[in-house]
Amino acid sequence: MSYDDYLDGKPAVVTAALTGGVQGKEAHPNLPETPAEIAAAAATCEAAGASIVHLHARRESGERAFSTERFQEVTDAVRDATDDIVIQHSTGGTGAPDELRAEPLRTDPAPEMASLDMGPLNRYDRLTSENTRATVRMLHNEMRERGIKPELEVFNDGHLNESLAIVDELDSPPYFNLIFGPGTLSVPHPRSLQTMVSHLPEDAEFNVLGFGRHQLPLTTMGMLLGGHVRVGLEDNIYYRKGELAESNAQFVERAVRIAGELGRPIATPAQAREILGL
Amino acid sequence: MPNRCPYLDYRRETGGRSFEAARPYCTAAETFVQPMRADICVGRYGLDHAADCEIYLAHEGERDADYADDSDGGDGE
Repeated sequence: MSYDDYLDGKPAVVTAALTGGVQGKEAHPNLPETPAEIAAAAATCEAAGASIVHLHARRESGERAFSTERFQEVTDAVRDATDDIVIQHSTGGTGAPDELRAEPLRTDPAPEMASLDMGPLNRYDRLTSENTRATVRMLHNEMRERGIKPELEVFNDGHLNESLAIVDELDSPPYFNLIFGPGTLSVPHPRSLQTMVSHLPEDAEFNVLGFGRHQLPLTTMGMLLGGHVRVGLEDNIYYRKGELAESNAQFVERAVRIAGELGRPIATPAQAREILGL
Repeated sequence: MPNRCPYLDYRRETGGRSFEAARPYCTAAETFVQPMRADICVGRYGLDHAADCEIYLAHEGERDADYADDSDGGDGE
């Protein structure tokens, strides 16, 4: 988790975020929504070098789904279609009640990882993802009970404060996902990333997630700082300015190419499990 | 469903775009609806189009039509 890790050629973990809950085929025709589509996307991302797949579930209409049953369909399809990829379920759910937020943790088997949003953020004009401390605690407790590694979603500096406050409760290494973009996210700038990384505990591992056009430069910088990267249509539908990406795998392929040019090997799923203490 | 937005429709196609399953469509904005906005249109989870949807409010003349589409970014959740 440092520039020395980059110099030492520490493997970089690539996470593919395939679907999300904000946008769908109305925004990008190739964004996967059905279990079969999500599974196919996961398989191509694994073949391209992703070692973690971040999953959301959808209804047939493309609308959001949080139920254990729908997540079970998605995760079963992904497990069938992939060889060894680490499965990470989202527990995010702007506007959704707490009892639904925990349902993605209750699949059989449990996901190896799950996202844990560390505080509030705004959506559109009138919608807020509250993520109160009570909600975070409830989700985190259930993750611990089920042996699920939390990925701490740090949407801004305040969420980093919240994360550091519970870091003693986490199994080592704590895993932070540093998120940059508009609105209530951290200001998307290299200075912000450098500052965030400088505040992390020494034993931490971190991932970099940049929304939209910030994905390429900030994930590249994350690799130089010894971090890991998350790419995919959930966070960015454009491959470059004005050009829609072809697929989730296209983003993974680019991240793998960049890592190779920078001298960082790409972690296999087994290496990712070792690095992240799964 | 009493809290359902009157502008909400479900369509398989419009303007040359088609989908296998019917998707939420906003007849006020004349576009398919993003998933999180659809929860507002339908009135799920205590959300209410009359209070929470800037598109509805703009078309009812209750606020300026300056609603933004967070297009190139997703949710990060």
